[in-house]
Amino acid sequence: MSRPGFVLEVDDRTPPLVVHEGQGFRLEEFPHGTRVVYPPESLPTVPDVEQAIRDALLSPVDSEPLPELLFPGMRLTIAFDDLSLPLPTMRPPDIRQRVIEQVLTMAAEAGVDDVELVAATALHRRMTPAELKHVVGERVFRSFHPQGALYNFDAEDRDNLVHLGTTEKGEDVEISKRAAESDLLVYVNVNLVAMDGGHKSVGIGLASYNSLRHHHNPQTMVRSHSFMDHRASHLHHSAWRMGRLIREHVKVFQIETTLDNEVFPAPYDFLMKREWEWSWRDQGTMLGARRGLAVAPRRLRHKLFHDMRAPYGLTGINAGEVEAVHDRTIATVHRQQLVEVEGQSDVLVMGVPYLGPYNVGSTMNPILATCMGLGYYFNSYRGAPVVRRGGAVILYHPLDEGFHQLHHPSYVDFYEEVLAESTDPTVIGEKYERQFATDPWYIHLYRTSHAYHGVHPFYMWYWAAHAMDHVDDVIWVGANRRAASRLGFRAASTLADALEMASDTVGSSPSITYLHNPPHLLADVRA
Amino acid sequence: MSVVRGGIEDVRQVARGWRWGRRPQVPRSAEPFVPPSESTVFGTDWARRRSGRVAREVAQKAGLEPVFRSQVRTRVEGLDVLERVEGPVVFVANHASHLDTPLVLLSLPDEWRRRTAVAAAADYFFDTWWRAVGSALLFNTFPIERRSGSMSDTPGDVLADGWSLLIFPEGTRSSDGWVGRFRMGAAYLACEHRVPVVPVAHRGTFAAMPRGQGWPSPGRRQLTIRFGEPLVPGPDETPRSLAPRIRDAVAGLLDEDASTWWEARRRAASGTTPDPAGPEVAPWRRVWEQTASPAPDPGRSQITAWRR
Repeated sequence: MSRPGFVLEVDDRTPPLVVHEGQGFRLEEFPHGTRVVYPPESLPTVPDVEQAIRDALLSPVDSEPLPELLFPGMRLTIAFDDLSLPLPTMRPPDIRQRVIEQVLTMAAEAGVDDVELVAATALHRRMTPAELKHVVGERVFRSFHPQGALYNFDAEDRDNLVHLGTTEKGEDVEISKRAAESDLLVYVNVNLVAMDGGHKSVGIGLASYNSLRHHHNPQTMVRSHSFMDHRASHLHHSAWRMGRLIREHVKVFQIETTLDNEVFPAPYDFLMKREWEWSWRDQGTMLGARRGLAVAPRRLRHKLFHDMRAPYGLTGINAGEVEAVHDRTIATVHRQQLVEVEGQSDVLVMGVPYLGPYNVGSTMNPILATCMGLGYYFNSYRGAPVVRRGGAVILYHPLDEGFHQLHHPSYVDFYEEVLAESTDPTVIGEKYERQFATDPWYIHLYRTSHAYHGVHPFYMWYWAAHAMDHVDDVIWVGANRRAASRLGFRAASTLADALEMASDTVGSSPSITYLHNPPHLLADVRA
Repeated sequence: MSVVRGGIEDVRQVARGWRWGRRPQVPRSAEPFVPPSESTVFGTDWARRRSGRVAREVAQKAGLEPVFRSQVRTRVEGLDVLERVEGPVVFVANHASHLDTPLVLLSLPDEWRRRTAVAAAADYFFDTWWRAVGSALLFNTFPIERRSGSMSDTPGDVLADGWSLLIFPEGTRSSDGWVGRFRMGAAYLACEHRVPVVPVAHRGTFAAMPRGQGWPSPGRRQLTIRFGEPLVPGPDETPRSLAPRIRDAVAGLLDEDASTWWEARRRAASGTTPDPAGPEVAPWRRVWEQTASPAPDPGRSQITAWRR
């Protein structure tokens, strides 16, 4: 029986609480009265994963069963979410592998020859063969990769893109030509959080800059309240318009999977427990981990964290028509992550962990940390933000990991040149976005190396635009002061210092809410 | 060096935050979300076998009683009722302190004390093996579920074996010293096994050692304890009708202890026995009244030469 999430009120009985900060964590003693939002415990997983997949494919929602959509001579394309999902990377076998294997089994039985598998990377970096193999499994990899039928989507390959038209709002829809011209496009997703999936899968995962620029911009992002609620998110409204246009051109069979909240494997599973329930072993492991991380060299620390594989379990799978499937998926995600929170607070506290969608096997540079904290965690709400308008956000992260030269080359220039001039998303977007998006060197690195697209750091900054517009003060605890300053924020040594600094904005005795995340949670705020 | 210092600070923080050496606490707002404890049954039959009885006799007489008497003063009344009843019986007492159990046990005549077992909360006294062993050895406790609402077999078995039981039907220590709601368990056992209930009332334990205190307050506080007339369940009596009779008896004894037998009888006859739940006044006034110890025995000379 999994317990629901709840809001703790810190009192004299509350032990210090875990706060993640990059490749480490600290124990923080919050002021009495601080509200702490704890996610629900893991839901029960499906008893037989293979059977659940089979059932979903044979009894889809608002669609014919998958075998009826397969026929000899057809063009079948299977697209799947890239390594940005789930986080951390799932312990093998990845759920996408198990789904794709069953789809391919049915395709083989139907005599389908023309099959291609595309990682829906959009403007993310290309996945390495090892990463592809992890996601799709050895059998699929060996059958398709050597023939070039398993590959990363290339949003700059003009010959393999097709412009399907424009939406009623004038938005260009330009996606993978292979996907658009297939008889059937099967999309296999991992719906880790509520903002994933739906029309965002194909409409964004297989789209080019020409299409993405219509919703990945400061104006849209600021009006998306929040990204975790597709009915209230302008970004999703745009993606939905595009998805409906795509649907007119290609039959999409959407397969969405949902996972439980088993984020940390043993022996780090104490990080998922409620602190006052820590056993002696948990306390000992925590002390050992703290000391180990304190003496470990940076590379070892990086390896310890990034080698972690999450023991996620499958809580649900739905297949069929995109919107009908997504409604069911979101219901399961909400059951797993939604926590009711009464009213907003003056200060929102969040710990930014070592990992976000864009630094798998990489470094969490200051821009990604901002995106993670002010973009994703800040937006982990439904209804109203956890913090009131004009409030303050306190984040924990050292901001000292530097930039990964292979993965994030354009980030370096963005940090050194663009942010040095302005941190206003609208200003930098208008002045620099196009230049970075069309820079031939960045495009070359994106297409041939493993670099994120030149425009990607702008998107990271835009994700944070809503938070930056909403709050008056952002303070990083334990952060490199120069880095925080470059981002346009301030740094503090301790929580007490941060609250002292924020007192100009929120007064000397503000109401405080701390999101105890990860594991993933979604605050359902009743303002 | 900073690594060592950091490690020491971490250990200190954890020791403080997780109350090493003391019972862990749950934040108040998290209490509704605490999962029901898995009933780990620690057998206590050994404590009622011959070796257990011998060990307990030594522990109580050589350890518990001298320490207890050195810390508090007691006045025991009404033991004559035990001469008019044959065991086993169910002793039912109000509950305000950890001193209650030793007070009742050490007030009983030896032959009754040696044959009395104490019902103790399974989730509190039996959550770890060392606490279970310690309490079973010293007080002859057996676990009783106070959360599930269902009665386990253990109390009935112990009673059937000829042991008298000491039960605190409030289920927990009073938070302000006044008597809380009585649960049905004791009445149920008495009806089920057709054994008399001996009501017991005591005063002063809250003043001497309330909740949250690990040792009696200095100054040898006065405790009083009074045993009442046994209540024998009628042939058709149900726990539902016996339970209020038990509570009334305890209330009468508390009244008697605070005044006189005659005055208490008259008030009982006129239905004006003070409610043991206490007056509906501000919480501090309720606590304030209970923090006063009963008056010391008037007939006893006070040795004051060595006192402050």
